[in-house]
Amino acid sequence: MSSLALSILQRKPVERETFIHRLDARVKFVFFLWISIWAYIFLDYVVTLIFLAGVMVLNLLGRNFSRTMKAVSIIIVPWIAVASLILGAYFPWNKTLLVKFEGILFGYDYALYYEGIAWSVTWPLRIGVCIASAMFFLFTTDPVKLIALLFKLRVPFRFIYGIAGGLQLTPILLNDLHTIMEAQKSRGLRTDVSIMKRALHYLALIVPLTLSTLNKVQIRATALEARGFSAPVQKTWPYDLSLKRRDYAFIAGMIIMTAVFAFIYIFYGFSPICRLEFYILGYGG
Amino acid sequence: MPREPIIIFDHFTYSYPTTPNALVDIDLKIHRGEVLGVIGPNGAGKSTFCKSLNGLVPHFYGGTVKGRVLVDGKDTLEMTPAELSLKVGLVFQEPESQLSGLSLTVEDEVGFGLSMLGFPSELIRERAREALEKVGLKGFEKRSPFELSGGEQQRLAIATVLAMKPEVMVLDEPVALLDPIGKYEVLSTVIELASEGSTIVIAEHEIEEIAYFANRILALNEGRIVSLDDAKKVLAEVEKLKSLGVDPPSVAELSYMLERELGVKIGEYPITLPEALKIYGELVRERWERK
Amino acid sequence: MGEKIIEVKDVWFKYSEEVTALRGVSLEIEEGELIALIGQNGSGKTTLAKNLNGLLKPTKGDVIVKGMNTKNTPTHIITNIVGYVFQNPAHQIFTKTVYEEVAYGPRNQGLSEDEVKERVRMALEMVGLTGYEETHPYDLNYGQMKLLMIASIIAMQPEVYVLDEPTSGQDHRGRRELIRLIRKLNDEGKTIIVITHDMRFVAETSERTILMANGKVIGDGPTREILSNVDLLKQTAIKPPQIVQLFHGLREYGVEVNALTIQEAFNAFKDILS
Repeated sequence: MSSLALSILQRKPVERETFIHRLDARVKFVFFLWISIWAYIFLDYVVTLIFLAGVMVLNLLGRNFSRTMKAVSIIIVPWIAVASLILGAYFPWNKTLLVKFEGILFGYDYALYYEGIAWSVTWPLRIGVCIASAMFFLFTTDPVKLIALLFKLRVPFRFIYGIAGGLQLTPILLNDLHTIMEAQKSRGLRTDVSIMKRALHYLALIVPLTLSTLNKVQIRATALEARGFSAPVQKTWPYDLSLKRRDYAFIAGMIIMTAVFAFIYIFYGFSPICRLEFYILGYGG
Repeated sequence: MPREPIIIFDHFTYSYPTTPNALVDIDLKIHRGEVLGVIGPNGAGKSTFCKSLNGLVPHFYGGTVKGRVLVDGKDTLEMTPAELSLKVGLVFQEPESQLSGLSLTVEDEVGFGLSMLGFPSELIRERAREALEKVGLKGFEKRSPFELSGGEQQRLAIATVLAMKPEVMVLDEPVALLDPIGKYEVLSTVIELASEGSTIVIAEHEIEEIAYFANRILALNEGRIVSLDDAKKVLAEVEKLKSLGVDPPSVAELSYMLERELGVKIGEYPITLPEALKIYGELVRERWERK
Repeated sequence: MGEKIIEVKDVWFKYSEEVTALRGVSLEIEEGELIALIGQNGSGKTTLAKNLNGLLKPTKGDVIVKGMNTKNTPTHIITNIVGYVFQNPAHQIFTKTVYEEVAYGPRNQGLSEDEVKERVRMALEMVGLTGYEETHPYDLNYGQMKLLMIASIIAMQPEVYVLDEPTSGQDHRGRRELIRLIRKLNDEGKTIIVITHDMRFVAETSERTILMANGKVIGDGPTREILSNVDLLKQTAIKPPQIVQLFHGLREYGVEVNALTIQEAFNAFKDILS
């Protein structure tokens, strides 16, 4: 069994088989949507952090931890840092002063407030939950099952082909790009010069890549046609798509957690731990 | 061997939208169980010929048609390529590019054509297994089609076509882009199929190879038939072939030179190595004996 | 034959931890040689060829081109000396006219427009595409496209030409054109290395043949010797040209000639029968 995203990055499917991998693709996709929505509902960085931790645990179980951790960190850590510096000082609803640096900014004061920082931390964390759960879905799903799923949902066949085709063909595209690079280097294309000069060679890479890809697509289209692609019949797909016990267990888990979250929301509000206030333009405080 | 014709070209002329006269007045019959080799320079119409056997020409490309092509009695103009795919299977030159791109395992790829046509899963699995064994890829079921070598991918393409059990198998320069091992693997598979009585049409530049198993050879140039006869006869027409820019088998060309320059009487030119060894061996032995 | 133009000294090349493409290859190439580099896919021949023009640098060992070590010389200097023509024209064509396509190389070399014009003219004449300057490259037929690719390297005036599968996808007429061109270049003193699977082509052009398998050179010598060594070729599952096989079989009848081409076969028979 391989994973969707790995198939994009490398041609050789990597063998991994865990409970998480065996979960149905639909369940994992719904989970991604579900947790992202809940992360949005609560405006509370502690709660969001708990969500993120939960998703990372699932990723850990699915042997997808380090990759996801890297991706999430690269995206949200700089974001938090920059946002904190800006919103911490200039957020319109800043009230609670944390620290003040007199005269540090060309003679002006620079002060950091709690509200701004809380906001700057919460938003990226929410996105982090989104990314982590999306990667959870992508990296632990067998592409075969995904395609079968789309197929069963009666997604138009040509659309499915667009996705599956993309999966398989991206490594080939990257390979071609590499060859094109080598061929043009042999004609004097240089990579050790300034970016300006390199930009001139852009065409020498893009045109052959596009044309040779189009050519391959044409050949593939002809071959597909010769194998009955456009037959107006119900296509067969030999995969077993029923939900198993583990899928129902996972779904049950989500239902229970929904109840818990709803309870917390109703009785403790949207910011149960940090007690942040909801800011809409004009109405705050 | 008078066998009934499975494909009939009835004064068939075809022009692509952008290239006129790709095929001009093609009139011939292909019989069940025969192996027809198609030779000619690039641009002669070999590919177009192959594609008119399964309806890609004209359905996929448009263009204008005169005359008709009958497959098992029915006009290809009145059938869709999908319908024809069960009668005529086509294997293309490019090993990787003709893979569907939709199957993640070899097994799925073989069954691809059948799933496109809505066959039941059990049948697909069975046929896939049979076909893989026939091309010598048993054991490769769970591998990704894209990790296979060129020769293996071409054999996979042949298996995909075999699974559909067509009446005729058409191969358009199947080994042009392969290395020697790949060429050997694929041609051996084709020879095996030919020996079992399959009807095969194969367009190739490797004339020395198809000399071994082609019954008849069709030589095309600029869309027209230049020769259509038994392989032995066509491949021995050394001057004619060379004027087309096609090299006949080396052993045949040698006979031609010996006959023309030295007046040696060869009779029927050899077109394969074993034949050549016999004939030239005789020649040499005769000479030694006379001394 | 002249002085050493390329030296390969115990070169090892790894694409990754698991994939070692070259395992200790050593050889010398002299100016003006015409060499065929043969072997199955995966034998390392393409990897070796790419090490010769600086596209790849050896993981271990050295490649010396005209006295310069490829490891510490900028790639573009090496590519000016060793031209590499890739197999698939679609991987190189990116301009609208044949002229522009051939001008790309010399322009990259920093030549003036006048010099470029002259180089293009000369290159097109060499390959027989004079008059096609304003043609769109994709309007050419496949054989012409392959000639165009060679022209675009000729215009850079390298001293060594590496041609990767120049006959693949071509018909026999195209093959003959190519043989004519290669001989012409060689006559002008250029060193030529051809990577190919076409044994007949090898027999008709190359004086020296290098046979590779599993990252090593297992045969390196005059073409006649290598192609007639049926056992060696069998090891790598390569079939010699039909004429070679024919004469191998004729040994039984007392014929002791190692003919490579039809012409040589004919001459041999002429001798025998007179």
